[in-house]
Amino acid sequence: MTNPLRLGIFGIVVVALFAVLGLRLWTMQVTEAQAYEDRALNNQVRVVSTPAPRGDIFDRNGVKLAGTRSALAAIVDLALVDDDDRGQLSQNLAAFLDVPASEISELLIEGSKKGVQVTVAEDLSDSAATFLLENRERFPGVNIVPQPIRTYPLAELGAHVLGYIGRPNADDLERDGVEGNEPVGKAGVERTYDDLLRGTEGVVEYRVDAKRKVLALAGEKTPTAGANLILTIDSEVQAQLQASLRDGLIQARRLEMDERRDALIDQSIADKLIEAQKKAVIEVAEELAAARAEGDSRTSSTDTETGVGDEDFDVPAAPITVDPIDVLGALYPGLPIDEAGVCVPVERVTIPLGGEGVLSGVEPRAVSFDSVVDQGSRFVATVTIDNETETVKNNQSFASTVQVVDISDERIILFSRDKWCPVRAVGVVENPNDGSIIAMASYPDYDPTAFVDGLSQEQWDSLGTVSAFQNFAVQGLYAPASTFKTLPYVLALEENYYPLDRGVGDKEVGATAGSTDGAPETEEPADASPVEEVVETDPVFEPLLSDTDEYSCTGLFKFQLNDGTVQTKKDWKWPGGHGPLDLHGALQASCDLYFWDIALRLWNERNDGSGVDKENLLQEYARGFGFGTATGIDLPFERDGLVPDKAWFVAEQREGSPRVRSDGSWVGGDLMDFAVGQGATLTTPLQMANGLAAMVNGGTIWTPRVVAQVVDQEGRLITENPPEIARSMDLDPRTSRMLLSDLQQVVNNQQRGTARTAFTNFGQGVELIGGKTGTSEIIQAPRVEHYKQVDSAFFVGVAPVTSPKWVVSVVVERGGSGGRVAAPIARQIFQFLLNGSDGVTELAPGLEAD
Amino acid sequence: MAFATRDPDSVAYTQHRGPLRPDIVLVLTYLTISAVGLLMIYSATAPGLVARGLDPARALKEQAIFVLIGFLVFAVVSSIDITEVRGFVGPIYIIVIVMLVLVLTPLGESEGIAQRWIDLGPIQFQPSELAKIGVILMLASILASSDIPLTWQTVARALVVVGVPSVLIFAQPDLGTMLVFAFVMLAMLFIGGSTMRQLGFLFVATAVGVVGVFQIGLIKEYQINRLTAFIDPGAYELSLSYNQVQSEIAIGSGGLLGKGLFEGSQTNFQFVPVQSTDFIFTAVGEQFGFVGSIVIIALFGLLLFRLLSIAANARDRFGSLVATGIAAMFAFHVFINIGMTIRIMPVTGLPLPFMSAGGTVFVAMSAALGLAHSVWMRRSVSPGSRRRD
Repeated sequence: MTNPLRLGIFGIVVVALFAVLGLRLWTMQVTEAQAYEDRALNNQVRVVSTPAPRGDIFDRNGVKLAGTRSALAAIVDLALVDDDDRGQLSQNLAAFLDVPASEISELLIEGSKKGVQVTVAEDLSDSAATFLLENRERFPGVNIVPQPIRTYPLAELGAHVLGYIGRPNADDLERDGVEGNEPVGKAGVERTYDDLLRGTEGVVEYRVDAKRKVLALAGEKTPTAGANLILTIDSEVQAQLQASLRDGLIQARRLEMDERRDALIDQSIADKLIEAQKKAVIEVAEELAAARAEGDSRTSSTDTETGVGDEDFDVPAAPITVDPIDVLGALYPGLPIDEAGVCVPVERVTIPLGGEGVLSGVEPRAVSFDSVVDQGSRFVATVTIDNETETVKNNQSFASTVQVVDISDERIILFSRDKWCPVRAVGVVENPNDGSIIAMASYPDYDPTAFVDGLSQEQWDSLGTVSAFQNFAVQGLYAPASTFKTLPYVLALEENYYPLDRGVGDKEVGATAGSTDGAPETEEPADASPVEEVVETDPVFEPLLSDTDEYSCTGLFKFQLNDGTVQTKKDWKWPGGHGPLDLHGALQASCDLYFWDIALRLWNERNDGSGVDKENLLQEYARGFGFGTATGIDLPFERDGLVPDKAWFVAEQREGSPRVRSDGSWVGGDLMDFAVGQGATLTTPLQMANGLAAMVNGGTIWTPRVVAQVVDQEGRLITENPPEIARSMDLDPRTSRMLLSDLQQVVNNQQRGTARTAFTNFGQGVELIGGKTGTSEIIQAPRVEHYKQVDSAFFVGVAPVTSPKWVVSVVVERGGSGGRVAAPIARQIFQFLLNGSDGVTELAPGLEAD
Repeated sequence: MAFATRDPDSVAYTQHRGPLRPDIVLVLTYLTISAVGLLMIYSATAPGLVARGLDPARALKEQAIFVLIGFLVFAVVSSIDITEVRGFVGPIYIIVIVMLVLVLTPLGESEGIAQRWIDLGPIQFQPSELAKIGVILMLASILASSDIPLTWQTVARALVVVGVPSVLIFAQPDLGTMLVFAFVMLAMLFIGGSTMRQLGFLFVATAVGVVGVFQIGLIKEYQINRLTAFIDPGAYELSLSYNQVQSEIAIGSGGLLGKGLFEGSQTNFQFVPVQSTDFIFTAVGEQFGFVGSIVIIALFGLLLFRLLSIAANARDRFGSLVATGIAAMFAFHVFINIGMTIRIMPVTGLPLPFMSAGGTVFVAMSAALGLAHSVWMRRSVSPGSRRRD
């Protein structure tokens, strides 16, 4: 059906075309082969790639934060060195560089496994480089290539925003455009903008002959430097933030030590501790006795009331070990301290085999590394501490505070931990009008220069053990505590939704759901507030109708479950209560009850048929303000945080997650915890700042950013990072105005403002500052009454309240009270922002306040 | 035996029944070329990867995945009845056009100066490779339903079918693919029954079009440079013609029998840029010499011979024209690509079928070969079945 003749013609055309190829190949490969062979042998070109300098990084005012210094490196191109000449080359190089010849030959052998070009000397002087080039006969195959070296002129300044660079690992090589062994951005903007900063490699071409001798430089393409970044960071504010965070953390540790000392001096507490220790021993003894009595069946409980005298109980046959840390907590004298006698969160001790080391502490502890057994896959060590001998392996914890990091047949590395010691301070300064980050820091910090030459073991030991390389402003997750109360506050104003009564009556929880399975909130580990005894009061049901209606803010909050039990939550920071307060007073004084009651009402009315999903309304507001999802800032490793709700609770419970109780359902108490930023709620310090920014700017949630512009080497704009709106909440302008005025009162109201003490002696402009303190509890399974509570301190602030330009969030992890520890740090930042460096006054602890 | 009992009259004209009969020679040739291609990709990339401290088989592994996918696609497409494909020619063509438009939008990715890729998360692909198949199918469908000799109206329709994707591909820009379209169209019209006058007209029109494109400056400067560099390589030493000079040295220095596998200095020292993709033939020329080069060309010749046999034995005009179009596409790719490496053709960026590294190319070419193979497996009772009976 097709014309066979035409197909045939087509076939002939194809044959003809292929014949042309064949003929040409015959001429090239047979007739003229020799000429081509000569060209291949005599005119070979070696191509050496030269690394491009990374782009510079500047702050918003043009201060250079990261730059590049140009140096020269000597490389050996092994393709140009005959195997027989290698030994001689190594010797010549060794003599010239003044290093042992074995070191050079080892480098060459090691390098030849990876490639043909081996770097033998870095950061050469010009004269040394010239000498190497001029004596090619003695140094065959040696080339001098430019070597850009990263510099960070201001060292630690902005370290967590800048990040650091390093040799690419397997993961980095997966990234777009990452090849070879040139440094790549590992963290911070060095990572996010790595492809732009990196630039284009240059090429140096040498003509070499068949005997691998370099004949001439054949061509050179200079590398193109990467693009420059202009940050939104203001290096002066950044410097102040870092100084304040460092001083604030040191102050928090001193305060912690003062508290411990006071507690030890207080004889009554000391007595109670001894008593508690005895009691703990008794409990264990009874448990053992009961277990023995009942055979293998498990004992259900231990009744502490049954009278076993303090002195005259029988010591059971089995040895009883009571970990002193369970009894003494933060007062345990073996916790690590530094030279100044101040606590450190973790101390690293390396002990050689057969040697002895000392774990610091008010009462130092000697440790000896006695022996080690090689079990093939791992080492097992025998150590003696506190005169007791222990057999330990990697990661094992022992002797209360000590953990094994690594065992080898030469040494053992131990961590001694103090989980009560303030561990770090984190801060963010953001412009609420465009989402630009003016300063961001996490202390302990580091000098990114350290990574350029590779970290020394010492640096790694001191910084790595406290996670100094992570940017906790975006990677740290914290229960935001009372700083979160601005959320139910905004909800109350926006939805006209106030507590169900005036704060003196019984409230009902879970009339329809709640805890039918008999798992009341007493068993709720996520519930931070201890349950106190029942207090009878007359019920008065009189709902609050407006934000100015007053609520009786007593220290106790009583509510009834549908199984008839009545529970009371205590406002644990203010057991005495605040007296009658309206919505504004409740925020200023940080009254838990008021906001609990809003949550409780949401819970009780969740099925009221209004069509509003009240059970999730508060969560919707939280997500609206950017909590629970990463903000999308141009920094790597940002975390989402968590806005807990019923769906999350159910999913976690199904997976058997330890973050939720194993039985029972999501109840009103969980919602109440969420309303005051406790329970499972988790936010990053950046989210705290960004959320508050949206609340005070009328509801615009910006996508925060640290890079404003990317420009080329001549300063021409390549790309701009314009302010970007992530979402809008469409707040009533009245809401932001009221919030600002109440935040101003938190700082300025001399009767009840929780941050008032921290801001005394602020100087000019204190009336322009607003803020909210917060103190979140870190639960560490208290077993004993006097176990010390570990709190993290928070402060979010805004200024000027008349027209916000800055939002600040400060977190001191395990720092203690927000008003006492975090607010003074923020105070210094605001002093700097409003009055310049001269306005900054000495750091002093503020009021112990929630 | 099974064949003997079959009654030839029961085989419907449009519907193939009975056992499918694969073209063993075609399949073996395809597999052989692909295998040699993988070996060449490894030899061309391993030294460079080692020099950068990477896994020497990295490029090989990447390509091998696509080769396996290509084999699978070939098998699947082979098993589809070509007459059923005809019903979908319209939608296929439209999808291809849409993808060509998408590649010009921000969805498309650019590499170098040209924008040819679509990014689909983990994979990127080049729609212009699929466009070649779409155009062949559409042309075959139009020509198969026209009278012989073709009317001028049919020729005009064919021009539109080729013209629309050409304009879109021109915008990328991808000159090589445009030339493939032109060659395929001429070949299919010729086989499909055009008059000599029509062919002559198209020839002139194509020539005028190409010259016109140069004249009004629609072609980017780099394309002109690339095309003229091969005429006067000295003018662009170490830059534009560098590829071709090094490629020529590599092939020429291979001599009669080649330097031996993994022994090519040009290959090992990575003198030939983009050797694993556009210049893969240099790896053959240098390592296996004239003999190896001729063997590869002969393998492609065998493949084309089989494709033209398929065209001759097809059950209907549509199948025959599809096979013709695919044969023309392969022939043009092979000639232009190898011609480029031995500097008798300009650098156009057309890959060598089944040998050049590249995922979309391999899979698309396999699909194309599968289509032709499908035609063979359902070929007319005579003369194809005669041989077996």
